[in-house]
Amino acid sequence: MFGAFLYLRVTSLRNQVVHRFGRLRQPKYLLGALFAAAYFYYFVIRRVSGVGAAAALTPGTAQTAGMLAAGLICAVLCLIGLVRVAYAWIAPPEKAGLVFTEAEIAFLFPAPVTRRALIHFRLLSTQMAILFSAALITVVFNRGGYLGGHRVLHAVGWWIILSTIDLHVNGTNLMLSRLRERSAHFLLWRVAAVAAIILYVAAVYLAASGLADSFLNGPGGMSAGADRLVRHLHDSAALYWLTLPFRIVLGPYLATGYREFALAFLPALAVVGLHYLWVSGSEARFEEGSIAIAEKRAAMRAAVQRGESPRIGGSKPKALAGPFPLPPRGLPEVAFLWKNLLSLRSAVFGRRTLGIVIGVAVWVYFAMQPLMRGRAASGQGGVLGIAVLTCCAIAAAYTLILGPQIARQDLRNDLPNADLLKTFPLEGWRLALGELLAPTAILTAIIWVTIIGAAAALDPGGALAWLTPVVRGTVVLCLALAAPLLCMIQLIVPNLVMILMPAWYQSSRSRAGGIEMFGQRLLFGVVQLLFAVLVAVPAAGAAVLVYIASYWLLGISTGVVLATVAVVLILAGEAAVGLWFLGERFEKFDLSVDTR
Amino acid sequence: MIEVEALTKQYGSFTAVRSLSLTVRPGEVLGLVGPNGAGKTTTLRCLAGIIPSTSGSVRIAGHDLASDPVGAKRALAFFPDEPRLFDYLTVRQHLNFVARIYGVADYEERARPLLEELELAEKADVLPGELSRGMKQKLVIACGLLHSPSVMFFDEPLTGLDPLGIRRMKDSIVRRAREGAAVILSSHLLHLLQEVCTNVLILKKGVKVADGTVAEVEAQFSNGEANVSLEEIFIRATGGSES
Repeated sequence: MFGAFLYLRVTSLRNQVVHRFGRLRQPKYLLGALFAAAYFYYFVIRRVSGVGAAAALTPGTAQTAGMLAAGLICAVLCLIGLVRVAYAWIAPPEKAGLVFTEAEIAFLFPAPVTRRALIHFRLLSTQMAILFSAALITVVFNRGGYLGGHRVLHAVGWWIILSTIDLHVNGTNLMLSRLRERSAHFLLWRVAAVAAIILYVAAVYLAASGLADSFLNGPGGMSAGADRLVRHLHDSAALYWLTLPFRIVLGPYLATGYREFALAFLPALAVVGLHYLWVSGSEARFEEGSIAIAEKRAAMRAAVQRGESPRIGGSKPKALAGPFPLPPRGLPEVAFLWKNLLSLRSAVFGRRTLGIVIGVAVWVYFAMQPLMRGRAASGQGGVLGIAVLTCCAIAAAYTLILGPQIARQDLRNDLPNADLLKTFPLEGWRLALGELLAPTAILTAIIWVTIIGAAAALDPGGALAWLTPVVRGTVVLCLALAAPLLCMIQLIVPNLVMILMPAWYQSSRSRAGGIEMFGQRLLFGVVQLLFAVLVAVPAAGAAVLVYIASYWLLGISTGVVLATVAVVLILAGEAAVGLWFLGERFEKFDLSVDTR
Repeated sequence: MIEVEALTKQYGSFTAVRSLSLTVRPGEVLGLVGPNGAGKTTTLRCLAGIIPSTSGSVRIAGHDLASDPVGAKRALAFFPDEPRLFDYLTVRQHLNFVARIYGVADYEERARPLLEELELAEKADVLPGELSRGMKQKLVIACGLLHSPSVMFFDEPLTGLDPLGIRRMKDSIVRRAREGAAVILSSHLLHLLQEVCTNVLILKKGVKVADGTVAEVEAQFSNGEANVSLEEIFIRATGGSES
């Protein structure tokens, strides 16, 4: 039986590689592959070979940076592992299962194969993916180059970590499934487990309290702080025992030399081995859960191939009321805004997504606290303002560049319904305008928030004499006026790409992996960025010229207003041309032919 | 009224539809038949303005489709073989949306009897994901009929319908034709065409091989025989194969 499994895996892998190389004959894949190869060479391989900032650190700085990085990585990985396990207990799946493909289920489940053999097959298959991920992570991140140790040892360390997490999650799911079947007090078990996890987190927090302050605010700067941190970790018996399981697993990864690695490897391997025995010895029934998982994945794949967006978290859409009343008479474009906002609410704003957003916001807030306190204590006033200003600027830039790739409630979402849209009695540009209104509104709202935040954070103390409230308010209003046009123009780009190169777009939306797919997506991102610059240049140039020509005579505020008028006119013209072209191309678009 | 003059659609060197001419007057139901790949769906998509034709002219209710596509589309409705709906709009919201697109001021009064007729009234607040294929088809029909089109194109309209749904669909097509609509109906179900259609057009490899009333086409290919079925007529007209 092992021979049959090995044949399946090896033959599939070989054919997959041959197929991947074969499709490089198609320009869309070849270009993607070349682009990705160039990206990897420039940003990864050159760093791995020693060319880059890491190589420029002095030994002392490198050691400090290394210790800090090790501690931070340790803490983050422990946290991820803990959260994953806690989630499995808090929200166990209805039917736990191991992940098999539909074909594996169809062939292997009815075959004369023992349950134990199926589990071995699944666990060993996952190992191939884990080995590849470990190698990739090692190459991409290179552990900063300054932690020491050979890259192969580092990759083995990652393999230990990823295998342990994978096995632990599978084992937990199977154990919970068995408890649910066998135990009349399943809820009590879960409550007890969650309570134990909370107690553990509380114990770690108490044992580690004071660490952050000791590191950040003690005498001697960050280098001495790092020393204090490491000593505290060693001296604290509570922390030592509480973090022992995690430190055993992380030991090989954090080892800086061969001897240290050798000492850490065997205990870590033993942990992996124990997990493997735990999962492979499970008596839980996984077949139904595996079938449910496979069906869900196949449905998602089919949805993406049809051009539909995979729903976040795989949740079902919900019937919701419209965002506002839609009377039967009025501009048809508003109907599209209504429809697309409705679909966005149904798709995105579920409890799980809101929970994730709130959780991340809370985590960021608490994570920033020690930093902000430290900087304030060392006399660096205005730090919060600078931080807010920086965050707002970054958020605005990301919204303009990446936002159009994420906010897809436009023609891209409605591609499967292209035929239906084309029967509507609307000119192409009006249809395009209608479809773009919803994502434009969303991106504009985000940008407006960043503008207001930046305006509030810029020079709160009033040190800049020229930045009066009138000037500040005028600048905010003018930026707010230009924002929707800029967002709409940015959204035209990905929609045009979809219409002009639908086969490219369809393949980039598929969940297929591979370096060429990565390259394609990267290429689309670069095109978006270049277009953003191209669009902004005429408007920015006009704004500067008009402002310079007018402010010395009419004052700053009037200069800003006139510059904004110039910007708005240019952006409006660009948007009008873009919409007309998009609409015109959409009218000629033939879904049945162009996606072959 | 539907007036088509020398409609041609080419994809590169391949001609999907070649110089097709037809006229469908108000009250007529034209059955469009042909083997697989004959160009039926391509023809319908050209007439509905979904894809542009390579050459030829199409007039829908007096509006030229090329020069006045908006006016033409306001008068027509296209019912595809595969129901395409918006995942996040309920049945009621679909009708609301379509009403706004077509400017149907009294859509609520029109929607109520439509939903009753199509047995969708109880599913008015349900998403398409929770509807069966047949019900999705009915929702597409409801959306298409809301603005009372004078021209209708049906591509395999009975797929996925249960026997009662089939009966109601046939009755609905006939009734609307009697009320003055011009209808083109593409289907492989020849008995449907015999029951519903006033005229038949047979396509083979993009070329019209027969066009006229059902009786005229039967006479053309019956070779003088009596009681020849439409199936036999079709096989004789198309040469009995797809190639």
